[in-house]
Amino acid sequence: MKISRKWIEQLVDLNGISDEDIATRLTMVGVEVESYENLSEKYNGFVVGSVMEVVKHPNADKLRLCQVDIAGEIKSIICGAPNVAAGQKVPVGLVGALVPHDQHDPDGKPFQLTRAKIRGIESEGMICSEYELALGDDKSGIMVFDDDAPTGKPLAEYLGLDDTIFEVSLTPNRADCLSHLGIARELSAAFSRKLSSRKPILHETGEQIGKLAKVEVSEPELCPRYSARVVKGIKIGRSPKWLKVAVEKAGMRSINNVVDATNFVMLELGQPLHAFDLNLIAGHKIVVRKPLESEAKFATLDGKERELGREMLMICDKESAIAIAGVMGGANSEINPATADILIESANFSPSSVRRTSKRLGLSTEASYRFERGVDPNLTLTALDRVTEIIVQTGGGTVAQGVIDVAAAKFAPRKIELHVDQANRLLGTRLASGEMRRLLESIEIHCEKKSETGFVCFAPTFRGDLEREVDLIEEVGRLFGYEKIEEQHQTRLVFDTRFTGTGVLDDLKAYLAGSGFNEMVTNSLQQTEVAGYHKENFVRIANPISEDMAAMRTSLLPGALQVVKLNLSYGLKDLKLFEMGRIYSTNSGSDGASFAENEMLSILLTGAADPISFDRSGAEFDIFDLKSEVERLLRHLNLDNWDFIPYDSTKEYKHALKLFMNGSEVGIFGQVSDEALGQFSIRQSVQFAELSLAEILAARKKTDKFRPLPKFPFASFDLAFIVDSNTPVGSLMNSLKSLAGNLFRDISVFDIYSGSGIPEGKTSVAFSVILGSDERTLNDGDIAGFIENAESKLAKEFSAALRKQKN
Amino acid sequence: MGMLEEIEKLKEEATASLARIKTPDDVENFRLKFLSRKGSLAQLFEEMKQIPKEEKPAVGKLLNEVRTQLESDFESARQSAESEKKLELSRIDLSVPGRKRYIGRKHPLTQTAEEIKRIFTGIGFGIADGPEIEDDYHNFEALNFPPDHPARDMQDTFFVKYPPAKEGNGTGKYVLRTHTSGVQIRVMENNKPPVRVIMPGRVYRNEAISSRSYCLFHQVEGLYVDKNVSLAELKGTITYFARELFGSGVRLRFRPSFFPFTEPSAEVDVNCFICSGKGCRICKHTGWLEIMGCGMVDPNVFKFVGYDEKEVSGYAFGMGIERITLLKYGIDDIRLFFDNDVRFLNQF
Repeated sequence: MKISRKWIEQLVDLNGISDEDIATRLTMVGVEVESYENLSEKYNGFVVGSVMEVVKHPNADKLRLCQVDIAGEIKSIICGAPNVAAGQKVPVGLVGALVPHDQHDPDGKPFQLTRAKIRGIESEGMICSEYELALGDDKSGIMVFDDDAPTGKPLAEYLGLDDTIFEVSLTPNRADCLSHLGIARELSAAFSRKLSSRKPILHETGEQIGKLAKVEVSEPELCPRYSARVVKGIKIGRSPKWLKVAVEKAGMRSINNVVDATNFVMLELGQPLHAFDLNLIAGHKIVVRKPLESEAKFATLDGKERELGREMLMICDKESAIAIAGVMGGANSEINPATADILIESANFSPSSVRRTSKRLGLSTEASYRFERGVDPNLTLTALDRVTEIIVQTGGGTVAQGVIDVAAAKFAPRKIELHVDQANRLLGTRLASGEMRRLLESIEIHCEKKSETGFVCFAPTFRGDLEREVDLIEEVGRLFGYEKIEEQHQTRLVFDTRFTGTGVLDDLKAYLAGSGFNEMVTNSLQQTEVAGYHKENFVRIANPISEDMAAMRTSLLPGALQVVKLNLSYGLKDLKLFEMGRIYSTNSGSDGASFAENEMLSILLTGAADPISFDRSGAEFDIFDLKSEVERLLRHLNLDNWDFIPYDSTKEYKHALKLFMNGSEVGIFGQVSDEALGQFSIRQSVQFAELSLAEILAARKKTDKFRPLPKFPFASFDLAFIVDSNTPVGSLMNSLKSLAGNLFRDISVFDIYSGSGIPEGKTSVAFSVILGSDERTLNDGDIAGFIENAESKLAKEFSAALRKQKN
Repeated sequence: MGMLEEIEKLKEEATASLARIKTPDDVENFRLKFLSRKGSLAQLFEEMKQIPKEEKPAVGKLLNEVRTQLESDFESARQSAESEKKLELSRIDLSVPGRKRYIGRKHPLTQTAEEIKRIFTGIGFGIADGPEIEDDYHNFEALNFPPDHPARDMQDTFFVKYPPAKEGNGTGKYVLRTHTSGVQIRVMENNKPPVRVIMPGRVYRNEAISSRSYCLFHQVEGLYVDKNVSLAELKGTITYFARELFGSGVRLRFRPSFFPFTEPSAEVDVNCFICSGKGCRICKHTGWLEIMGCGMVDPNVFKFVGYDEKEVSGYAFGMGIERITLLKYGIDDIRLFFDNDVRFLNQF
C-alpha cells in the first residue's frame, strides 16, 4: 500500500521527523515499510515549460525543433512526439535529469539526459511523455498540462509530487492500517503527536432523504450496516488537480470527480464507498439480498459479465442487481457524464462473505481487500460525511437532509480484561500497570482499572483483531518495543528422549560424501507422465504451476537423470551422485484413500570409474562398480544378510538386481535402460540404485556385544575351476561357502578367464578362500581335504573341473 | 690340494666377490653361492667330516674363522647395497601428481540444516518429523487459520487431488504442506508438555519459479512449550542461535508481525552482512535481512491440541534453509540449489 507523507500530515503533525525515522518507527511497531521514495528528488531537473515555437527539423521529417520557455531562459529542444504544438504547457527534462523510463528500451530502464546532437542540431533537454516520467502508461505523445500551469515551476511541485511515498506491507490482521488515518494513528502513538480531530462540514439543504430513497437489508448477517446519502444536481467532470494527484499517488486511476472522491475517502479513512446514479436505481430503492435463481449473470462496471453464485450478496434495486456487495458496482447504475443525482453507499459487509464472493469470481478489488480483512462498522457515517463534503466541493449539488442508516445492532467497543502479571509473564518484562495503560491508550484503547493487578480494556471497533487478553498483551509488547525486552537465557533442562530425529541419515550422508559422492537435492514435483511411468498410483496436484509439475515423484530416477543431463550440457561427464528424498504414492484404504511417503536413497555412477591419472585407463563405471558401492553401503551399516536377485530388463533398467532383506524387496539397482536415458538425451551408460531407507535401516543390527578376536591363524589358499561359461559365479561361491560351513571366513574371485588354454565354451574361475577354526590351527591336511571335497561337490553340481595347481 | 689351501682359496674368492656387491641381486647371489645351506662354505664343512681326525682341529678352526669373517663382511655389504637401493628410490619423480579420486560433498542445504540442528540440539532441542502431504486441519485449521480467512492468502498452496481415484472432488482436504508448522500440531497432539523440538523438512509454495523463489524449499520449525515460557526467553534463544550461525558480531532486530498461530508474533532481522548495514540490493537498502518468523504459541493452538493455556505457554519459530544459505554465501539464484551442477556443489 502506498502512503503519502503529505496526506498523513493533514492528519497528524510530523514536523521535524525525517522520512527515515518514520519508516523505521512504523516498521518497529509492526507496520513494515518496504521502501520509500522522495518524489522531489526523483523529479529533480524537471520543470514546467511553455512551448513558444515549433518548426520542422531541417534534417528529419518526423522531428520538430521547439523553442521552450522555462522561465528566464529559452531552451532549444528536439521533439519527436506527434502532438507537440506552440502554446502548450509541457514537462521538460533538463540536461542532467534522470528520466525514469526510456521509451525506446524494452525494459524501460532509466537514463540520464545529456546535451546531444540529433541529426546535426543540439537539443538542450527533452519534452516527456507520461510513460517517460513514470506517471502513467501513455507513450503516444508528450504530456500536456493545463494552460494555467506556471512556466518554470519545478515539476514535482506543480504536480503535487513534492512528497514522500512509503510502500507499506501489511499483515492480514492490521485492517485498521489500510488507510492514511490508520497509519497516522500509529505514528501519533509512536511519536506522541496528536491526531487531527477535524470533522467534515456539510450543508444539508435538500429534501428529506426519506422522500428520495429507501434501503432494505434482507441479509443483516452479511450486511450489518448500510448507510447512504443523496446529493442532487451535481456536475460530473474531471477531478481538480489535488484530488487527481492524491488518488494517483496512492496508485489508483483518476476517473471523475465523484468516483475519485469515493476512492479518496477509502484511502484516507479505510471505508470503501460506492456512488450510484440515483435515477438508474429502479424505484429509488436499494435492497440488499442474495440473487434469485434467474439472476445468474451480472455485468460489472469493468465491462465484464460475471457468473453469480446463489450465496453471493448483491445490492439490488426494486427490479434487479446493481452491484456485487463489497466487490464491484454494476455497469447498469454507474456514474456517467449525464449523472446529476447520486446515492452514496457507505456499508459494512461480512468479511467471509466478501472473501468467498471475491474468490469465486476471481475478482479482488480495493474494496473487497478491505472488507475481507474487516472494516470498522462505526466508520460508515464519518466516511459518508467526508465524501459528501468533497463531492459538493468538486461537483456542486444539494445535499439531502439526513442519512439512511440501517444497522443490525449497535457496535460497541469490545471489553477485554488484561492482567498485568499475565502480560509480564508472557512477555518476560516487568512493566508497571500505569505504563501498560499509557501504551494502550496511545492507540485509543480505553482502560479502566478493575483491581490492583488488572484492567478492563475497551478495544475500539476499528480494531476487530483485538479479541482476547493475549491480543492486548501483543499491543503492549509492540508499543513498548520488542527491542527493549531483555533477552533471557535461563531456559530449563528438559529430560526427553521422545524426539531423537534421524541422525543416522546425516551419518549416512557423511559416509557417502566421504566415498566420493556429491549430494543432489531435486524437485519432488514431476510431470504426470513421468510419475505414471514408474508407478500407477501416484499423487496428483489439483492446481499445478505447470504440466511439468502436476504430480508427486514416484522415483528418484528422473530427477537424477535430469541432473546428469544438465551436467553433461556443461561437459561434466564423470559423476558420482547420491540423493536422499521421499517418493509419494496413494494407498487405497477403507476411507477411500491415504498417502504414503517413503524415504529413498539413490546412488548414481556415470562416466570414468577413475578420474584421469598418469597410470589409470579410462574404464567406465559398470554395474560391478555399482554393486560394490551397494555392498559397501550395506556393510557400512553393519548388515550381513541380504540377497541380490537378478531381474532382467525392466522399463527403467537394462540389467538390474533387486535387493532383498528378510524376504522383502528393499531396492533395485542396475544399468539404466536406453529408453529411460533417451528421455533425457543421455548417450553414456548410467548406473543407478534406488533403495528404501526405512526398510534398510530397520534391518540394521547394532553391535551390542564384543566378539573375541580369533585365537588361531586363518588359512588362505587359491583354487580354480573350469566350468561351462553360463555357470553363475555366485552359485559356485555359494556352494563353496556352504561346503566350508562354520570354517568359512571369506571368499573372493580373483580371475575369470576364457580363451587360449581353456576349451571352447568354458571359463576358468579362480577363487581365493580363507578358512579358519575357533578351536585349532588348520593344517595342510584340512586344506587338502577341503579342496578334495570341493572338487567332487562342484563336479557334481556344476560339472566343474578343478584346475590343478602348477608345482 | 689340502683342506687348508681350499679354505684360503675360498676366502680369497669370496672376499673378491664381496667387493663387487652393488645391488640386492648381487647380495642374494653371494649368499646363495657361499653362505646358503648348499653354498661353498657349507660344502667345506661337509668335506671336513671326511678328513683324518688329527687334521680336524686346525681345519675346523680356520673354517670357523673364515665363516665368521665372511658373515660379518657379508652383512656390511648387504647393508650398503640396501642404502644404494634407497638412493635409487629417491630418484623417482615425485612431482608426478597423485592418482585422482572422486571427492564428494554434502549438499549446501544439508550442511546448513545440519548446522542448525547442531546448534539447537546443543541446547536441548529434540528433532521431529512429519508428512509433506498434509491435511487441511494440520496445515491450517489447528494453526488458527480459519476457513475463509485472508491469512490463508499468506501462503500460495498446492492442493492434492482427493480422493485420488475420483479425479479429486474432495480437493482441498489435502495440501502439500506450506510450512513445517503442522508438525508442531502433531508433536503436541501426541506428547504431553513440556516439549522442545525442532522440525526440519520440505515445504511447497505455488509460486512461479524464478531466481528468488522455487516451488519448494526447506524449513526448520522450532517449538518449546513449558510452564512460564516468555517472549524474553524466545529472544534469548534466537539471539544465541543467530550468533552461533552467523558469528558473534551479528546484530538482531525483532519487529512485530503476524502469524495466525503465534501471538505476539515477530519477525527477526539480522544486520546485512553483505553491506554491513549500509544498504544494498540484497537487503533492499534497509540494512537488515529477514531470517525468520517467531512468536508465542497462540492460545487457540493450545485449545486445538488439548493443552491447557493456563498451565503452559510456549514459543515457536520457523526459518527457511534456502534463504539462510543464500544469505550466508551470497548466492543470487535459488535455482542453483536444485540444478545440482557439480561445479556448484563442489564449492561447499
